[in-house]
Parts: sequence; C-alpha cells; structure tokens
Amino acid sequence: MKTICLILGVIISLWAPRSEAKEFKFPEMIGWKQSGEIQTFIPKTLFEYINGAADLYIMYDFQELKVAEYQNEKKASITVEVYEHKTPTHAFGIYSQERLSNADFIDVGAQGYIENNTLNFLTGPYYVKMTSYHTGAEDCEILLTFVKKVSENLGTNGTLPAILSSFPEEGKKKNSEKFINRNFLGYSFLHSAFTADYELSGKKFKLFVIEGVGKNDCKDMIQKYLQQTKTSEKSPVEGRYTVADPYHGEIDLHWQGTYIWGTLSLNDSNLRSKYLKLLEVGLQKRK
Amino acid sequence: MDKKGIGRRDFMKSSLAGFSGLFFLPQLDMKQELRVAEVKGKEKKFVYRTLGKTGIKLPVINMGVMNTDNPNLVRVALDSGMVMLDTAQVYQRGQNEGMIGEVLKGRPRDSYIIATKARLPNDQTTGLYTQEATEEAFLKKVDVSLKNLGLDYVDVYYHHNVWKKESALYEPILKALEKIKKAGKARFVGLTTHMNEPEVIQASIDSKLYDVILTSYNFQQKHYPEVRNAIARAAQAGIGIVGMKAIRGGSRQDPTVKNPAAALKWVLQDPNVHTIVPGFTTFEQMNVDLAVAENPLFTEPEKKDLEKVASISGLYCQGCRECVGQCLGDLPIPDLMRAYMYTYGYRNLTHAQDLVLSLNLPNRVCEDCTLCSVKCSVGFDVSKKIRDVVRLRNVPSEFIG
Repeated sequence: MKTICLILGVIISLWAPRSEAKEFKFPEMIGWKQSGEIQTFIPKTLFEYINGAADLYIMYDFQELKVAEYQNEKKASITVEVYEHKTPTHAFGIYSQERLSNADFIDVGAQGYIENNTLNFLTGPYYVKMTSYHTGAEDCEILLTFVKKVSENLGTNGTLPAILSSFPEEGKKKNSEKFINRNFLGYSFLHSAFTADYELSGKKFKLFVIEGVGKNDCKDMIQKYLQQTKTSEKSPVEGRYTVADPYHGEIDLHWQGTYIWGTLSLNDSNLRSKYLKLLEVGLQKRK
Repeated sequence: MDKKGIGRRDFMKSSLAGFSGLFFLPQLDMKQELRVAEVKGKEKKFVYRTLGKTGIKLPVINMGVMNTDNPNLVRVALDSGMVMLDTAQVYQRGQNEGMIGEVLKGRPRDSYIIATKARLPNDQTTGLYTQEATEEAFLKKVDVSLKNLGLDYVDVYYHHNVWKKESALYEPILKALEKIKKAGKARFVGLTTHMNEPEVIQASIDSKLYDVILTSYNFQQKHYPEVRNAIARAAQAGIGIVGMKAIRGGSRQDPTVKNPAAALKWVLQDPNVHTIVPGFTTFEQMNVDLAVAENPLFTEPEKKDLEKVASISGLYCQGCRECVGQCLGDLPIPDLMRAYMYTYGYRNLTHAQDLVLSLNLPNRVCEDCTLCSVKCSVGFDVSKKIRDVVRLRNVPSEFIG
C-alpha cells in the first residue's frame, strides 16, 4: 500500500497537467431528447448491466460501455449501447459471437444488421447495439437515422478482419466467420483463432486459422497440442499434422510460419486435404 | 488508514475471528450424498443433492454454458457426468441455446436437465419493469427458447436477473410463468438474482410460485451471511437452490482468482445449496470442477487461500450502496470506492484511472465540505479515500498504461 502511495505521489508531482479522457459523444437527434444520465460500465461493473453475459464480453477484452437512452414526444425510445473493445479484432470477436448469419445486413461501419427493434453494427473497436421501443411502423427508418449519426460520431469505419478473406469461398456459410479470443477448442494453450462454417454435399464442418505472434509461438502451440493429444513428435517442424483429438475427433492441421490452419468435424480425408490447400493459398495471398 | 478501527491489521483480525464461526461451516458427511455417476468409460462417484421440491437429483457441479460456443466442451461435460446445462436466451442472442440444442440431439430426454431464462425490458437504475414488460412478451420468449433448443419443454425456466422484490412479484411475469408451467413448456419455474439477493429470495419464497432460485453466492460477498440465511429459508420452503458466481463473482479471468476449486467448495459447504453452475471454457477448468463434484471437502491449504483472499477484499468497498444519495456533492461514491480498490487492492492503475475519468467529476472534489455527510456502513473514511483516488485525474494515461 505504501509503495503504491509513493508511486502515485511521485507521478502526480512530476506531471501536473490534467490528462484528457477519450470521449465518444452521443449525437443530438432532432425530435429526440436524451433521458437520464449516460451510464458507463467498465469490466468490473459490466455484469450490473448485462449480468451473466458480461463474462463473454470481458473475454473479448471489453474496455468500456456507454449507454444512452433517447425519447421523443410520442414516448417512443431508443437505447444506444456502445461497447468499446481493445482492438477492432476483439470487437469483431464479440460481434461475431452474437451475429446471426441470416440477418438483414446493412451498409454501416465494417458491418451491421437490422431486425425488428434491433440494429447492431461494428465499427473500429466499437460494437454498437441499438434497441427501439414503441417506434411502431417507422421502427426501421428511425433506427437507420440513429445509426447514421452514431457511426459518424464514432468516427471510425474500418473493415472486417483482413484474414477472413483467406477462407475459401466454396461451401462457406455466409457471415459465419468468428474470432475466438482465447481457449480455442477448449485448450488454454491455443490462444485465439478465426473460424468459418462450411457445408458441402450435406457435410457440415469448420475451418480455422490461428495467427501466432511469431513462429515460436506457433511452434509452442503445436508442441503443446501434440503433447495434449499424445501424438509423438518431440520437436515439431512446419508442415502437416493429423491429430486424434480425444474431444474433437480427427483433426488435420498445417503449420507454416506464423499461421496454423486446419479442419474440424470433417471425416473425408480428401476434402480435408483440399481445404487445407485452399486455406494455404488464401493465406499466401496475404503475404 | 484511518484511526477509527478499520485499519488493515484490525480488519484482518476481526475478519479472521469471524471465519472460525461463520466463514467455514461444519464439515458435512458427504458419504450420504455420494452416488455413482453414469460416466462413459469409467465409474465416478459424485456428490449428489436434490433440487428442493422438484425432486431432481443433480451432481453438485454442473455447467454454466454462457461463455462457450464449443459444442464438444458441452458434449464432454455431459459425457463426464454433468447433468444440468444452464443457458439463457440472451447469451449470444440465442445461439448459445442453439448450440446446446445441437449437442442434445440424439440424447435421451431424461439424461439431462436444461435450464434457460429470459427477462423483459426494465429500468436499469431502479430494477423495476417498464411498460414494455408484458405477460405476452414473456410468453413469446419461452417459445423462442424452445425453438432454439429444439425441445418441447425445458426443465427449469427462469425469470432472469431480478434485484427488486417488486420485480420478483411482478404480476404479468408470474402469470406468464404459471401459464408456461401449465402448458408443459417448463417442468419448473425459477428466478435468478445477482444483486440484493436476500430481498429477492424472500420475495420468491413469499410468492409461493418459484420452484428454483439461481443466486449469486460466494465467499467474497460482504453480505454472504444474509444471503446464506435467505438461502436457508428458501431451502426450508422447498425451493431448489442453484449457486452461481461462486468463483470471484463469476469470472475465472479475474486476477484475484487463485483457487477456483476452493471457491466452489466454499459454496458447497452450505448444504442448502443443491448445485452450482460454474462457467468454463477449457477442458482443464472442467476437470477442476469435476474433481470438486467428486470431493467437495476442503483441504487445509484451500482454506488458507480463501481466508487470505477474503481478508484482503474486506479492506475495500463491497458495494452495499448504502452511501448512494448521501453525498451533498452528489458524487458517485461506489464508483470512486471501486477506483480506490483498483488502485490499492488490484494495483491496476489503468482501470482505476479509466473509471475516475469516466465519472465526469467536478473540478473540486471533497474540497467544499467541512464535514462529510456520508456514513459508510463499515466505517470507511469515504472522503479521504475519494480525495486520494481522484488525484489519478492528473496523471497522464500514457504513463500509467
């Protein structure tokens, strides 16, 4: 305690100027008034707002949530929730966890979609969720008006993570891509992965890509995975591995440089080889 | 630290004295509750308890599915002896239920217990329902959940996230729950509570409607004696009790979580808790939880771990919120106390500063009052702590980060 006090004291004595908080401003909307205070939640308090769902957001390096509610004279209301995550990839991760692949997608930010009374979109490190109440037949129009202003004020745009373009198109379920931030496949040593769902000739399967922070990181992951699955390989080298995973069945994966990619839930070995190759080609295009 | 008896050493002493009588309960005879679980491959003996008047027998640890989208983790949990899967329509916007539905395909309906939940629009600041919260809206929710899960009925359908007695007794939802049960869409109905649990649990007992309560309960709750008493009354009334947020308020990622197994055992030492539904996202975490289901008795090192963590957390605000509204300057005291805890308890200056800056505080904080109007329920010198922590406003964030 004393140490912290001392550190704080030193810091404060050295830097007198006040630091500026990075602030997103909720827009002024003609015909609407903000009701009540803007609520702010941080990782420690997020559960007060979304209870049990909070942990998942925190797993995606959630930083802060700001919530504003607007009302008009007809007692209709719009709630705007702006979730800020550490990076655009983390924001995509939580967005992808909640995105329904068959939603009505709209052109806003990196991506967005609208349903009855709900409009969600992704822009930069922000995942924005808007909900309307008592807006009647104009619901969609009102949400679209709000989204324009909110996205302008957020000032970011960006695109979906570039690595998603590496997934082969053949058989891919549209908008099924996800980013799993940690514990991929239920293993803490596989930190994060991008996945996409596929369906081909009635066969449903997944492809995944793990992007390591370096070659050694990938080697470490492969080594631990081989140990976990009791696959004999003392010092793994780049190349293809077939692993009998006790929980996930047979998995084919390939390690090259800073990428590990593979197939999940795909029994057909020819198809596995085909998709590993297609993914390799996709990843090579990124280089 | 101030001189009025809340010094670190004094607090440690008083807390630890309390532990001997209340913090740890008398050891249970687990043998009476042991039962062989139907686990594929090998035989395992888990401690089972009966979920109140529902009569459902469950291992003391089951699965909170909310944080995972990994169907194989759920599949393995069921194959390893867990029986109850706890989900909610709000988790991943229904996709959590959908994923569970896929896992359940082909399994005998009597081999698992499904609990899901829904809530309706409410005022986040008061905890009371708004006009959008109607019986019809709640009835629609259960149909959506059943569709997502691919089931004709769920075993427990919860009224989700209640923290006011008025909401626990909100008539449109009570009527809807009765209809849901009568229509056979849920075998039992329940309620979940994450805050103000004693009041909500008492209201649930009074309602005579709820069969099951899913409640926050952990060793770091400042008001755990009240929660424990409320749980005892509910169990006495025949209500099944499911514990949640047993591990540091639910998060295994929290840096203060040192011993998840001990935290689970602390809840299970209370015989009125019939099962817990911890969330896990790895097979390793699942195995820790399964080991607790086999033997929920404490080891001495586990007891010491809990005592240590509980003593430290007791030095900081526990969020009773009794101070809300007392400050003449209208300062957000619980938030500022949390920033103080981040600074000195977790030593996370980034979080502390982010929080302080987010509060839009006036330039002069605690400088215009000669006497502080705030009376902290545990006697902390609130003004002193606030003046201390708001100094973080003057530190460049680049330095802290």
